[in-house]
Amino acid sequence: MEPLDQSVWELGPIVVALIMGFLFGFALDKGGMTRYHKIVNVFRFTDLAVLKFMMSAMVTGMVGIYLLVWAGEVELTAITPTIPIKNFAGGLLFGVGMSLVGMCPGTMVSGAARGQLDYLIPGFGGFLTGALLYGFLYPTITDLFAGFKDYGNAKLPELWGLSTVLTVLVFAEAIILMLYLIQRLNLRRKDRLAAES
Amino acid sequence: MRAFIAYLRRDLWSPYVAGALLGLVAVMTLWSTTKLDNMPARLPGASGSFQNLAAYLGQELTSTQKVLTEGGAPITVPREGLEEQFIYFAFTMPKGITWQVWMIIGVFLGSLVSALLSGGFRISVMPHTTQWQTIFGPQPWKRWVLVFIGGIILQVAAGIAGGCTSGLAISGGVQLTPAAFLFIAGMFISGIPTALLVYRRRY
Repeated sequence: MEPLDQSVWELGPIVVALIMGFLFGFALDKGGMTRYHKIVNVFRFTDLAVLKFMMSAMVTGMVGIYLLVWAGEVELTAITPTIPIKNFAGGLLFGVGMSLVGMCPGTMVSGAARGQLDYLIPGFGGFLTGALLYGFLYPTITDLFAGFKDYGNAKLPELWGLSTVLTVLVFAEAIILMLYLIQRLNLRRKDRLAAES
Repeated sequence: MRAFIAYLRRDLWSPYVAGALLGLVAVMTLWSTTKLDNMPARLPGASGSFQNLAAYLGQELTSTQKVLTEGGAPITVPREGLEEQFIYFAFTMPKGITWQVWMIIGVFLGSLVSALLSGGFRISVMPHTTQWQTIFGPQPWKRWVLVFIGGIILQVAAGIAGGCTSGLAISGGVQLTPAAFLFIAGMFISGIPTALLVYRRRY
């Protein structure tokens, strides 16, 4: 029989995934990301909750993660490679889908948990079908973007030759300034959808 | 304590507070997965888990059973012309209840508890706001067809970009990867005209 602490240790990743996923889902619902109109209206500038939510997450996460990096606690290895044309083209297609249906992969799961069957059934079905389709298109897509510049795991401070401290500070301040301006603009505009949420 | 519970029961938080929680989740995820030496360091993400789930069917569709030697046991080989696709479903994004799948199970549970606490949990077949119905009408099937098509678009797009709003925009953004900011730019550049085209002046 295996010692108890060994089997607990092996369960560690699953426990971490469940707890972090739980808090992630809780934040998505409390942020209003589980609602069609909240997501669509960010693209119409009538409700900027999505933007505020994302930027707030970005500042908190960026500062927290780089503090851990500077403390030598973590290394940044879990990185999506930068292939500018590919990331941008994917973003363009993603924006069309997100704007049409008011959800993205994470908020589909999250929205389904609110009892919304349009998220659970055609949503989940659509994402799985899309995943299957992507697998079949994988060689074609790889060929299509094969000739473009690949920056690998590069991060902005290295690319710009700046210190990470400076880059994080500049980004955090730029985002906070943008949030402040958004808040100012928002106060002046009548949010006619406020009553509907 | 009572104020804290009252806050947990609220339908919506300030998006700044909810966003900050998501940011902390990204930090805690990276930290705790770094501390666990039986798995690689990870950040939150959603779209990859659908690839792992779709690979169950993907592997079936791209492989076949073949008996290579007379009387031998049949073995699994890729179907002709689908070798690269088989490699994708079998090795690149293999089937399985992966770490990421556990995470989206957690996402589901977290949102469920949030909705139950606030009383927002309600079985519905389409958005109950007038916004959707003004544009698309009251028929649920229209919403279902559009969501299905939208889901396909979103998942293929996430595949091309290398992640979705969580796995690329947030998790990449907090690490200052250019990929994240290019993705966010693309998302808004196409999302804004799409919404304007759908809505025009009708709502």
